[in-house]
Parts: sequence; structure tokens; C-alpha cells
Amino acid sequence: MIQEILAFGILILAIAFLIKKYFWKKKSDKNCGDDDCGCA
Amino acid sequence: MLSSHNINVALIGNPNVGKTSVFNQLTGLNQQVGNYPGITVEKKIGFCKLPNNYKANILDLPGTYSLNASSIDENVVIELLLNKNDKLYPDVALVVTDVENLKRNLLLFTQIKDLEIPTILVINMADRMEYKGISLDIPFLEEKLKTKIALVSSRKGTGIEELKQLIVNYKSIPKEPCLNASVIDEEYFEALRKTFPNQLLYKLWLVITQDVNFLNLDRNEIRNSYTKSHSDLKRLQQKETIKRYQFINDVLKEGLKIDLNSAKDFRAILDRVLTHKVWGYAIFFFILFGIFQSIFEWSKIPMDFIDNTFASFSVMANENLAPGVLTNLIAQGIIPGIGGILIFIPQIAFLFMFISILEESGYMSRVVFLMDKIMRKFGLSGKSIVPLISGTACAIPAIMATRNIENWKERLITILVTPFTTCSARLPVYAIIIALVIPEKRVFGIINMQGLTLMLLYLLGFGMAIFSAYILNKILKIKGKTYFIVEMPNYKLPMFKNVAINVIEKTKAFIFGAGKIILAISIVLWFLASYGPGEKFKNAEKIVIEKNLAKPLNHSELQNAIASQKLENSYIGLMGKTIEPAISPLGYDWKIGVAIISSFAAREVFVGTLATIYSVGDSDNDNTIKNRMQAEINPETGQKIFNFASGISLLLFYAFAMQCASTIAITKKETNSWKWPLGQLIFMSGLAYLVALIAFQILK
Repeated sequence: MIQEILAFGILILAIAFLIKKYFWKKKSDKNCGDDDCGCA
Repeated sequence: MLSSHNINVALIGNPNVGKTSVFNQLTGLNQQVGNYPGITVEKKIGFCKLPNNYKANILDLPGTYSLNASSIDENVVIELLLNKNDKLYPDVALVVTDVENLKRNLLLFTQIKDLEIPTILVINMADRMEYKGISLDIPFLEEKLKTKIALVSSRKGTGIEELKQLIVNYKSIPKEPCLNASVIDEEYFEALRKTFPNQLLYKLWLVITQDVNFLNLDRNEIRNSYTKSHSDLKRLQQKETIKRYQFINDVLKEGLKIDLNSAKDFRAILDRVLTHKVWGYAIFFFILFGIFQSIFEWSKIPMDFIDNTFASFSVMANENLAPGVLTNLIAQGIIPGIGGILIFIPQIAFLFMFISILEESGYMSRVVFLMDKIMRKFGLSGKSIVPLISGTACAIPAIMATRNIENWKERLITILVTPFTTCSARLPVYAIIIALVIPEKRVFGIINMQGLTLMLLYLLGFGMAIFSAYILNKILKIKGKTYFIVEMPNYKLPMFKNVAINVIEKTKAFIFGAGKIILAISIVLWFLASYGPGEKFKNAEKIVIEKNLAKPLNHSELQNAIASQKLENSYIGLMGKTIEPAISPLGYDWKIGVAIISSFAAREVFVGTLATIYSVGDSDNDNTIKNRMQAEINPETGQKIFNFASGISLLLFYAFAMQCASTIAITKKETNSWKWPLGQLIFMSGLAYLVALIAFQILK
């Protein structure tokens, strides 16, 4: 039972890490300084 | 560690002056590498112990030629130097210069002095002075430039202690500018001074003339008060630069002497050979060939050692831990997952060691120059070479590096084709597949076939990048030309310390960047492979026993058959089976299909995924990743899954496929549109599928 709790805890941590990595990006408010480059 | 009690030191300088070598000499391995907030410009901070128990935070700023920003890297330098509230705002600036290029390097020095920050002039590569017949009048230069000078050789480590002493005594260094640049338009600058009496004049001038809005001044307020046309401002900037160079010329006329009779210069001769239109390419090809041969030869023993060690760790975990889900997760998910990351350390370390040696020696700039001639024929900018070459490490910083290409269409093409360059994430995939399907034999006694295949894959990626650029150039109709300027640094013997630090940094980035993703995906995959819906999964043991009633299996065979039945009916098995019809014409089974899907997050996940799937489906924990892959048999054909045809098909698939979520994200960011990354994804995936299909159908 303890093993299952720990194993699923590790699974939740792994999923949370992947969600944070790929879907929870910080937004940047900077651009590259070139007015015509197309980046915001 | 970073502390407000330490002296903040900013290391500033032109590219190729040995700034990073000075940084390494001052800090050793006490470095932290990160990014500036909101942008992916690398931020390196180190810590240094100084005489009299002082300590310093050393910030290695990106290389910049002047304070006239034209790239995001240069903006970083200016933003820091203008923002006194920044916790890294320097107490003292070290402007690093190259003794052979003092005239050009001093332009930046005079600009920094105008910001009234105590500034030490570090004249690097002092060990070459005698060789080049150079002599300096240090007291004269210190007086005219209103600074203290440290004559150092970062290669030989000389002058570093004296530099540390100067940092300790930074308060005694004059803050005043060494020339009055405002004489270029006295009336204008006087008016500015009166309106903003509390602001530094040169700071106002930078805010007015730069494209970037700096943190703590309202540019519009200044611009509205003192309107000058864009062309007038440009003219004034030019006058400012001329004024500074006049001053530098006057100072160096007295302070620097070059005795050409005593100079012994082999550089010109070496340049003629290394950039020769025939020998240049032949030498480059030969060097490349040697590198890839060595990567395979030298990595074999440490890779086998890591593979075997992790296989035995799995056995140990199974034998010593109490049976249960967690033990299975550790033995079949986490340990093979970590093993799948660490096994590639030797190859990645050797690759970056060679790249670092080429850069350090000054040869890489000759390669850039050499390749520019080819690139132009395919419609790319000479500046596209840098992203394409740095793409061998990772496409993400390489795409960021396109920011110095002024022409938007040329930049766009470079962004779109850079992911074809073989990045380090492809290396693990290539390495394992090559080891499985290319015989480990030598041709003519010296050419290792595996090394040769790896080199061909690198050339294939580069060739496809250039070919795609050619096609895109025709479709997009590029207007206008940009000009390519590359600096040829002097040839140097690579410094062991710099090479070692670079290798450690890059390997660390792989382990802790990609490694965390691989490990997390391995854990998720283990669950998906260990649980499944329906009766076929739950009653796997019963089904297998009933199936084999006629010919009973021994214990080991039975365990393998049950593991296999469970895996096929697990969640991941069902997912893999669903896509199997689409990938079987390429020679792949459902397990490879799962690895391809999961490696969309990052290519290197491919090997980790297979390691996890095969661990779950194999009752023998003593097996290595390579052995497990080698033993996989297609139940329908009876052939090995990883045979020559399917192996080549996989290599070609990974050579062309996008398979990198982060690259899509960065392309979206850089182009500010989903159109380009989606087009890139569809084109690269479609091409990869087609080429892999053709290869398998021909070779099977």
C-alpha cells in the first residue's frame, strides 16, 4: 500500500513537471530591438 | 554565492578578446549559468576571492563592440550599465581588450568611461607582445585614459593577481570620462544637460539613440523635448564615433609601439592554407572526419560501462527492495530512465570538447569564412553560418542567434532550416541505432564504419538545411542583400581550462535540462506500460498459460510471455497498436511508434522510452538497453526489429523530422506567428516520413 502511494506520488510529480515545462510558460515582454524583424 | 556585500564586477569587452578566459581565471568553477529574465541570452555569474578577505561577484556580460546596440545581447549590456537599481549594477567595470586590437577595443572602453563607472582596462594576451613586437607605455596610457591598467595573459594566468588587487582598490579609480564627446554638438548637449540636470549626459544620449527603451527613463519625454530627425541622430552618432577614434589614435600614437622587424607572424601563412579554395575544404573535411571517428572510438568503453552499471543497479534494486509497485517503478522505470540519459555523456562530452577546441584555437572563424562562399550560392546570408554551426549543439540558441541577421527574409529562412542541423539531442538516437545496425568494422584498416555513418548523418542534416534554404529562397523571393563581416581571431593553443569548463557546462545542461524531461517521461511511460484496461491485461497470466497448454513453458519463458502479453495490452501498448498501421511501412513496430510519439517532446527521449518499454516487457533485469533492443524480434516476420533496413529508415527519420516541441515554441516566438512553425513541422515530418518509407522499402 505504502509502495503504491509513493509510486503514484512520483507519477503525479512527473506529470506536474511536464505540464509546467510545456504548458506553463512565462510570458516575455521584450523584443529583439529590431523594428522590422516580426517579433513582438 | 551572490551577496550584496561582495564587490560587483562587470566583465565587458568585444567578442574574441578572451573575456571568458579572464572570467574563468578569476572564478574557476565557481560559476552559475542562467538566463536574463524574459530572454534567452546566457547570463554567467562567478564568484571570486580577492586579497584582504574581499569577495567579488563577477558578471560575464555578452560580447559587444560598442554601446550602440544592434542586438539583444548588446541591449543586455546597456540595460545593466544604465540601471543603478539592478542588484548586479557594477561597482567596477573591467573592460577586457586584446593587445593586438587595442585601437578597436578602446572604443567600447571610452563609452563605458562616459557612464562614470570606475573602469579598469584589462589588456589581455600580453604573452603575445614580444612575439608581435608590441610595447606599451602603461603609465602614459593610464594617465590619458584616466584608468588603471592590468596587463594579463589569461592563457598563462599572468597578471590575474594584480588584477584582483586593482578590483579591491576600485574606489581609487577615477570615474571621470577620458574625453569630452559632447563637443560634436555643444548646443544640443548643453540644452539636454540643462533640462535633465540630474541625469548623466551620456546616459540621455544612449536612451535617445538606441532602439530599446531602457528601464528608468522616459524616452518619449526626452525625444519630445529635443527632436532631431533620425538622419541627424545617425550623423551625430557617426561624429561621436569619429571623435572617439581620433582620441584613441592620439593616445596610442604615444602609448603603443609596434616593431615590425621583431614580429614573427605565421598567421598569414596559416590563413592562406586554411581558407584556401581547395585545401581549406579538404582540411575541414579531414578534421570533421577525425572528430566523428574519435567520438565513436573513445566513447565505446565508458558507454558500455555506464550501460552495464545501470543494468546491475536494476538487478540490485529488485533483489534488495521489498517487492511491490514502487520497486518495479524504480527497477524498470527510474533506473533505466536515468541510464538512458547518462549513457550519452561520453559522446556529448567528446563532441563539445572538439567544438570547443576548434573555437578556442581560432579555426572555427576560418570555417565560417570558408563556408560563407558556399552559402551565398544557395541564397543564404553569410551570417546564417553561425546559427547553422551552433545548431550542432541545440536548435534553440541557434534560432535565437539569427537575431543578428538584418534582412527579415534571410533571417526567416535561417530560422526555418536550422532544425535540420544535427543537434546534440539527435546524437543519442544516432548512437544507439548505429551501434545496432552498422557493423563495427574498419575499412582500409583505419576507417571506422560507425564513425563514418555518424559523419554522413551530420553532413546530410547540413546539406538538407542548405537545400531547403535554396528552395525557400526561390519561393520567398528575398529582396536586398546583407553583408557578412567575420572577425578572424588569432590562432591560439586551446586552453585546457576553457575547454574543460565548456564541456562540463554543456554536459550539465544536457543532464539537468533534457535529463529531467527524459526521467519524467520515463516515469509516466512506466505507468502506461504497467497498467492497462480490460480483461486481456488483467488475466494476462491465465491467457498465456491457456495458450501454451499443449507445450508448457519453463519459468523464464512463462514470465517473459506474461510480461509481453501485459505490455501489448497496457495503455501504451494499445496506443502503439493504434498507430502501428501508419508506421509499419517504415519498418517500425508499435514499440518504436510509442518511442517516436514520446520523443516529440525531445528527441533524446526516444532511447529512454525504448529502455523503459523493453524493461517492462522483459523479466530479465540484467540486460543492457542495447542487448534488449538487439534481441527484439518481429513475431510476424521472425526478423530482428532493429535490422539494417529499419535502422537506416529510423536514422533518416530522425535526421529530417522536427521532433522537438521547444524548437516549435522558439520558432513561434521568433516569427510571432503559428504559420511558420506549423509549416516547418508539417514539411519536416512529411519529408522524414517519405524518406524513411523509401529507404525501408528499398533496403528491406
